[in-house]
Amino acid sequence: MFNPLRAAHGERSAAHLRVLADEELMQLVYRGNADAFEVIYDRHCEAAFSLALRMCRQRSLAEDVVQEAFLSLWRSGARYDRNRGSVRTWTLGIVHNRAIDALRRKAVRDRGIVEDEGIEERVPARERTEVEFARRDEAREIREALQQLPAEQSRVIELAYFAGMTHHEIADALDTPVGTVKGRMRLGLQKMRGALTDAPGAAT
Amino acid sequence: MSGELPSYDGCGEDAAPYVLGALTETEHEAFLAHLRECASCREEVATLQAVANALPAAVPQLAAPAALRDRVLSTVRTEAALRTADAARGTEPRRALLRGRPGRLPWRLVAGSAAASAAAVLAAVLLLGGGSTGSTRLYSAKVSAPAASATLRVSGGRGTLQIAHMPRSAPGKVYEVWVKRAGAPQPTDALFTVSADGAATVAVPGDMKGVTAVMVTAEPEGGSRVPTSAPVIVASLA
Repeated sequence: MFNPLRAAHGERSAAHLRVLADEELMQLVYRGNADAFEVIYDRHCEAAFSLALRMCRQRSLAEDVVQEAFLSLWRSGARYDRNRGSVRTWTLGIVHNRAIDALRRKAVRDRGIVEDEGIEERVPARERTEVEFARRDEAREIREALQQLPAEQSRVIELAYFAGMTHHEIADALDTPVGTVKGRMRLGLQKMRGALTDAPGAAT
Repeated sequence: MSGELPSYDGCGEDAAPYVLGALTETEHEAFLAHLRECASCREEVATLQAVANALPAAVPQLAAPAALRDRVLSTVRTEAALRTADAARGTEPRRALLRGRPGRLPWRLVAGSAAASAAAVLAAVLLLGGGSTGSTRLYSAKVSAPAASATLRVSGGRGTLQIAHMPRSAPGKVYEVWVKRAGAPQPTDALFTVSADGAATVAVPGDMKGVTAVMVTAEPEGGSRVPTSAPVIVASLA
């Protein structure tokens, strides 16, 4: 039977926790184990922060988004369902939703153009493990799949996913009918799906 | 596609904007309702969702700020310590505080830094006036600052923090009172600074019924919705 005292008092050392899979750690997080949470945080904070910064394009806002997302994960660990994907996907989904909320709430006006310039203190993430090398391969495949799309398709996907714009806002910005925007999103995603399925180690 | 819900006109169109997060809130809700009825849209969502899930990897990966890590983990450790204290209280009221492994006491977890934990004292509860007649209880709080002390006085369902020798909050910061019942600590509108000699008497907003702990953190002026730093005062109500 689970003993909250034992769990919270670190019966498992941090080193032991670091060999556990995310899904096992989430069971401990659900029971209030802060050490397990710390391992989850360290594994996914870079991806979370990178996504939030790309979306928010403001360091302080991105930090707020990541903080809210991880605290929400800590407080609602019970809602993680392993049948619906990896912990990383789930975490990044929370970050994405929070960033969209933040962007729409604050109506950041310059968000329409996605660009990499102008953000200070960019520190590339370290690469440490085989898992991260595999992720780098995956990242390259995804970037290539995005770049190979016709510009009109990659643009609507970027404006929607990374800039947090609704399809109505995109239609206005591009002076294009809403139905066309939706169609480009769909075609673009389908093509990316094809490219990723063909690639070795494709994302699922 | 299948058109099982003729009144809904996004069928076959909304899966892509849905997985990209590009529907408005109203459209999102309508599409979720539609998904329950439409197998072909469900299938398309499943297919396209896998691609959307992969999109974050396209972003150049950057190191997350260390200060952000400190903020998140200090909040989590605070909440874990409070949960532990709650769990311990259920069956073995004081053992959790008194018998934890060195360095693993809840307040050690809360305090985080050596400087803060050096001044940590274990909570002691003074019961004044006996259980039946006296309805005033004093709880001595754990305080991070050396030489500072704080007592939570609960009387007639109302709580008051009496604080002495507390350092002034940093420029641009105020102290904020948090109240914990079940779940995460909840913010209050009790924001305060201390007098020149470090004293303050602060009423805890609301009824104390069901409150398991009262905490104080230093927050930016105007207060915060979630703690951004480790607590400087924790009064646990045993």
